[in-house]
Amino acid sequence: MISVEPMLLVQNIVNGVFMGLIYSLVALGLALIFGVMDIINFAHGDFVMIGAYLTFLLATTLLVDPTLTAFITMPLFFVIGVAVYKGIIERVLGAEPLIQIAVTVGLLMVLRNLALMIFKAEPRGVPFTVFGFPINVGPITIAASRLVAGIVSLVALFLVHMLLTRTKWGIAMRATADDREVAELMGINVKKVYAVTFGLGISLTALAAALIMTFSRADPYLGLLYGLLSWVIVAMGGLGGVIGVLASGLIIGVIEAIGISVVSAGARELFIYLTFFLILWFRPRGLFGRR
Amino acid sequence: MALLELKNVNAGYGEFRVLFDVSAKVERGQIVAIVGPNGAGKTTTLRTIMGMTTLYSGDIVFNGRSITRMPTHKRVELGLSMVPEGRRVFRTLTVYENLVAGAITKRAWEKLEDTLEMVYNIFPKLKERRNQIAGTLSGGEAQMLAIARALMSRPDVLLLDEPSLGLAPKIVIQIFDVVKKLRDEAEKTILLVEQHVKHSLEIADYAYVLEQGRIVLEGEAQKLMKDERLKKAYLIF
Ligand SMILES: Nc1ncnc2c1ncn2[C@@H]1O[C@H](COP(=O)(O)OP(=O)(O)OP(=O)(O)O)[C@@H](O)[C@H]1O
Ligand SMILES: [Mg+2]
Repeated sequence: MISVEPMLLVQNIVNGVFMGLIYSLVALGLALIFGVMDIINFAHGDFVMIGAYLTFLLATTLLVDPTLTAFITMPLFFVIGVAVYKGIIERVLGAEPLIQIAVTVGLLMVLRNLALMIFKAEPRGVPFTVFGFPINVGPITIAASRLVAGIVSLVALFLVHMLLTRTKWGIAMRATADDREVAELMGINVKKVYAVTFGLGISLTALAAALIMTFSRADPYLGLLYGLLSWVIVAMGGLGGVIGVLASGLIIGVIEAIGISVVSAGARELFIYLTFFLILWFRPRGLFGRR
Repeated sequence: MALLELKNVNAGYGEFRVLFDVSAKVERGQIVAIVGPNGAGKTTTLRTIMGMTTLYSGDIVFNGRSITRMPTHKRVELGLSMVPEGRRVFRTLTVYENLVAGAITKRAWEKLEDTLEMVYNIFPKLKERRNQIAGTLSGGEAQMLAIARALMSRPDVLLLDEPSLGLAPKIVIQIFDVVKKLRDEAEKTILLVEQHVKHSLEIADYAYVLEQGRIVLEGEAQKLMKDERLKKAYLIF
């Protein structure tokens, strides 16, 4: 093992915590859709990617901070999510898992190729953000953009948690997740719950994308990275609700940071997936497994 | 006019026919029992009333209105509610959240607090356990919760599918007591499916006997109790 400067390690871990919060936010939409609808949305990461490009376009044409574009992209993605649900997902609700997989993988291909067609595999970054400065806390330096992205993610996770536990819609969503048929018997309009869940899950990717664009660039393969990360997080902690997603996201963020510090930047994915396999080896149902 | 009426209903699951020409009436303020052997189609009858099967022909009229083509949630909005076979409480929700989930319709939502108080009055145990995860309740408690949850939608007609299934004799008596009280004190109309034929006929006003998807016998509960055929088939006395 290569010796690491301790302060650098601490700094990277702090950064890892903020990245973990953002990963949790990205995974949250996937966890909601999977938990409530039992649908595996393979296109999830590619919604983040489309969201990132859209953030770039809006920020550079309207000349506003990328974070502000979320006020446009979130409602827009909600509507897109509902439309995708109505147009595609609702038709395969009762179908074989294989058909459901084919449908969302098809959606992934459409989104990815759309991005490739329009942006030709070129990464695009927003050249400005008010959060582009570093913050020094003693010997530790963190980018303000990551701090802000982490905090906004945490607030979003908290709000979704409150939605699920304290509101009529949240209880309807959790009842539907628990027993779809009985939820219907209770007078819950399950298809409406599904539409809202899908819309919400997709609109959360737009928020994540806007935050990511304050320190990173949009490129057509962003979908692969965030898609896989979300899957790892949901598999690890999905059944534990928002708290499970948060815990798994933080673990991934910190492990990634340690991997980068101790070995090299190229080792980040190796570390993430090794951790994932180890956790599933000892806890096949994930950290918060039930049933 | 009957509060709920099935007219020549043929229903099943996809291609699989279960009910043949079933006609039945439920009068307001009564307990109507449906009895019959396993697989006769009792559950299917209740599910058909709630709109959760394939209906090939026939009509279902509730409160003078045909509900045959309505989705399930609209039927609940109109005042029908069902306690499913095997209780099926929302296991990952608390007792309180289960009750809230039962009151999600417009009809019930505004009166949530009142209904909750009414339900806690009938089932004080649920109030004690309101913050417990429903998956950890005992069988009897879970059945109480399943009934309470259905009451939360403020139904006019309550459909009960084998509420005493798998419960200890003492609890079975309690459940039948509650069902009787719901009619006598809460002015609910009840359609009751039960294996305990004798108990059911004792509290019911009217009863139907269902065999292989057909109504083979019907009449006032008191009279059916004395029916030789029924006595033999169900060895009830
Ligand atoms: N979801 C379903 N899909 C297909 N067939 C079903 C379904 N549910 C029940 N059936 C069939 O319909 C018939 C009637 O079943 P049903 O559950 O209505 O009977 P039941 O009278 O309620 O019996 P039990 O006393 O055992 O509860 C049975 O042959 C059963 O196998
Ligand atoms: Mg049954």
